[in-house]
Amino acid sequence: MATLLDVRAISKSFGGVQALRDVSFTVEQGTVLGLVGPNGSGKTTLFSCLTGFLKPTSGEAVFDGHALSGLSPARICTRGVVRTWQKVRPLAKLSVLDNVVVGALCRTSSLAKARELAREQLRLVRLDARVDALAGSLPIGERKKLEVARVLATQPRLLLLDEVMGGLNTAEKDDLSALIVELRKRGLSQIVIEHDMKAILRVSDRLVVLGSGQKLADGPPQDVVRDPAVVAAYLGEPIAAG
Amino acid sequence: MKRPALALATVVLVGLLPLVVHSPYLLHILILVLLAAALGLAWNVVGGWAGQYSVGHAAYFGIGGYTLSILVARGIAPGWGALAGMVIAVAISIVIGSICLRLRGAYFVLASIAVAEILRLTALAWKTLTNGAEGILINELPPLTLFGHVVTDFSGKEPFVYLALLLAFVGVAVNEALTRTKLGYMLQAIREDQDAAWSLGIPLAFYKNAALSISAALTALVGAVTAMYILFLDPHAAFGLEVSVQAVLICILGGIGTVAGPVLGAVVIVLLDEGLRTWLTQGHALVYGLLLVLAILFLPDGLMGLFRFRRKPPRAAPLPSAGGAP
Repeated sequence: MATLLDVRAISKSFGGVQALRDVSFTVEQGTVLGLVGPNGSGKTTLFSCLTGFLKPTSGEAVFDGHALSGLSPARICTRGVVRTWQKVRPLAKLSVLDNVVVGALCRTSSLAKARELAREQLRLVRLDARVDALAGSLPIGERKKLEVARVLATQPRLLLLDEVMGGLNTAEKDDLSALIVELRKRGLSQIVIEHDMKAILRVSDRLVVLGSGQKLADGPPQDVVRDPAVVAAYLGEPIAAG
Repeated sequence: MKRPALALATVVLVGLLPLVVHSPYLLHILILVLLAAALGLAWNVVGGWAGQYSVGHAAYFGIGGYTLSILVARGIAPGWGALAGMVIAVAISIVIGSICLRLRGAYFVLASIAVAEILRLTALAWKTLTNGAEGILINELPPLTLFGHVVTDFSGKEPFVYLALLLAFVGVAVNEALTRTKLGYMLQAIREDQDAAWSLGIPLAFYKNAALSISAALTALVGAVTAMYILFLDPHAAFGLEVSVQAVLICILGGIGTVAGPVLGAVVIVLLDEGLRTWLTQGHALVYGLLLVLAILFLPDGLMGLFRFRRKPPRAAPLPSAGGAP
């Protein structure tokens, strides 16, 4: 299997606080990598470094053979790496459809084509009944789905999902895990940050655990959740891997 | 397809007005309304659609006016003067934009005010070019000729009604185009959330600069026509904060980021200003200010907000499709 993303010893410090310390891992083409760790362990900081919103203090990420260092978030999105936001950022005064159209316009200049692509993504996340609603008026569950539809419309090759299930009820979580599995079947590589261990074990091919900015474990999910270091730092008690 | 028809009907109706209305005062008010609408529509491109609240549009207005006045005083036709003004305004907007558009929120507002002030002080100080505080008086506008025929000699108010109407129409057309093009979508995404827009592949600097350049070109054109109409320009009238604030107020009052909003806002602001001036003479600015504060407090989406609410009542949320999550 080919390596799609190669994260090489990325470190990031804010003044005296070291948010990430020499974090390295790879994402293979067509796989889902689960990224877990306690709050403040550096997961979102890592996403920001990968998508150009933060400049790593050292280290680099290589996507499909090309370094992403120094590229703007917009350029990185054009290359095919796109993130969602943990705290969702709907374009509040635009309709649900137009939010996704904005994403689709990343690849086309034709509004007609963009609308068609946008409707397709909205059907996929099952928001197609809400196309005309204002994005700002959606409840949280639908906002999270909109966030996913919008990044899908940019036709990414690597999707970075930052806690898209946070704050959702069980049915909505099941919906989104099913979506991640479906996208993986279609060949889309993903890095998924999630606190819900049941969901993360269901969708991930591999698990990376961060703690205080360092990588604690990296491997097949069922091995990682039994790792004593991971149990001590994050899980508290071993999880029966399914 | 309803909106373009409405816009065309309005243009035709306003165009017919000078045939019926002959009072120079009423035509003067009409010209002021049309120029104000064109100014608001120009500001709306960068302020309303892209959400970059420039309070320094006097910079482009003044550049347009001064360039035309200086060139006409040297015997160059006003058409070329207006075109030159637009080109210089766009050039300056690119310089200003590359520096100031990196700033977000209040910092951009302050930077935009500062740039207009710098230009005002320059116009005051550069006496050999601008005549300084005395201002520039245009003695005579050369007649407009097309293929050897005199179209107009710019006597009376009528030519300016049509000129101002043309500007307002161009403003409406540009704003309408933004509701149905990629550019418009990119600008609105930037207005709603810059970081979200950035993460979705939108190069912020490029689109913000594009919006500012278009806005600057249109604003310079309004400045040029205003100079032709009034035939006199001094640094305060061209680059003063009042001009910048007026552009913003027209849009806030009418409805930011809409096509008809700036037109509505222009009608209300000009009529209010003129009406209060004749009615109250002394205290007009006080009442004018008070009414604006009330309008901003109670009409957060401008006059268009009222209008939209009446036309489109909130409807019940449709049920999710079969098998969809709640």
